[in-house]
Amino acid sequence: MKSHILLACALALPAIANAADHGPVFGYATPVNSQRELSFDTGIFGRQGSLGTQLSTGSGFGYGITPHLTVNAFLPATFNSGALPESRMIAGSEWSAGASWRFQHSVTSVGKRIESTGSLNLIVPGPQPDSGLLATLHRAPGVAGSVATGLASRSQYAWLGGGYTRFAQASHDQRPDTISWSAVYGYRPAKLRRGYDQWDYRGFAELTGEHTGNVRTSGIVLGGSSTTSLWLGPTVLAILKNIAISGGVQAPVFRDASTALYGREQLRFAINFSYLKYSAQTSGH
Amino acid sequence: MKKALIVFALTFSPAALQAEFQQVNLTVFGMDCAPCAHAIHVSMKGIEGVNSVDVDLNTGLVTIKLNPGNRATMRQFNEAVEKNGFTHKDAYIVAKGKMTGTASAPVLQIDGTTDQFALTPAAGGVDLASLLGKTVTIAGVLPQAPKGKVSTTLHYKSVTEAR
Repeated sequence: MKSHILLACALALPAIANAADHGPVFGYATPVNSQRELSFDTGIFGRQGSLGTQLSTGSGFGYGITPHLTVNAFLPATFNSGALPESRMIAGSEWSAGASWRFQHSVTSVGKRIESTGSLNLIVPGPQPDSGLLATLHRAPGVAGSVATGLASRSQYAWLGGGYTRFAQASHDQRPDTISWSAVYGYRPAKLRRGYDQWDYRGFAELTGEHTGNVRTSGIVLGGSSTTSLWLGPTVLAILKNIAISGGVQAPVFRDASTALYGREQLRFAINFSYLKYSAQTSGH
Repeated sequence: MKKALIVFALTFSPAALQAEFQQVNLTVFGMDCAPCAHAIHVSMKGIEGVNSVDVDLNTGLVTIKLNPGNRATMRQFNEAVEKNGFTHKDAYIVAKGKMTGTASAPVLQIDGTTDQFALTPAAGGVDLASLLGKTVTIAGVLPQAPKGKVSTTLHYKSVTEAR
């Protein structure tokens, strides 16, 4: 019953991004749900640019089928808009659903794991229109794949990840293909390596990058609509048992995008809340 | 007379001779954060008969204390670790069980479960012949077993006849 209530909440609320239960805010990471664990995320995500600000809220949920396979869905909604380039690190108005598979998992010592996770998601246009240049396009579903690998330990975290998103054509329009990547470093100071019944804090430095291809409109490739950007910023994650709150900001360290089409994107930020419901069920004798 | 009856009942009733795990100290690899420990705590507490669970993130030690009369099995403890994506290493256990087998190949049977362990001394030799057929309290180490398996050998450190 509780699971149904959580599912209903996830479907009722609007949604966004890469928000992970207990990973970084913007970048790719490897954690997946435990078997039969239900996770629920909701948050506010923003992109501020010279041609407006896009504010979004989003809810996502995941369910652990096995210790290494999680199915998930993410339902975002935007409540403010700006003329900004395509981004897969901070989602727009598309809904997505898919699965994450932790295909490599090496547990080498107390408190330490090295693991790799791949994800595949189907993306469908949400009920809300896009803004800026993307608002002029007919929309079609797409597919997003990503891979992340890295280390999780009591003191340090390090993840590298990359992803690719491709949309289908609709009425000779096509959203740009997007290549995205991230590098995340996390640290938990010694005095914060405490018992699990106390707040657990860690800080991350998150570097993310994206390259979006050209937009295709009415069968014509729109020259100069391709973008490349690199973002860096700090994020913080606080967890108490099964509740997590994370947030952070990123600023551009490199930006190659048409200011006429997209303006100048200056800031990305996110605040995320997660609830994790673990299963007590084990087999009988 | 009443006292004699009570002593008789406590000594020979099934409850008095109930075989069971009393404590399991399991070392778990891979837990890096509070939700990991919480997940283990929830999973272990979900096993019928578990009284208390303590998880130390910095040592990876999960200490499980069980209620008298429980029928929990090692497979359940291991599964509680595996389902959360972690790895269980050696386990130190305190259990009550029936000593069977032979003097040269003693076996501990945990009644009411499928758990049984071939006994080997952790250090030195203890003569178990006099305990064959009796219910004993035993403490020792179960070596790490592959995922989905339970060690069939218990390296015992102490064995006493259960009262």
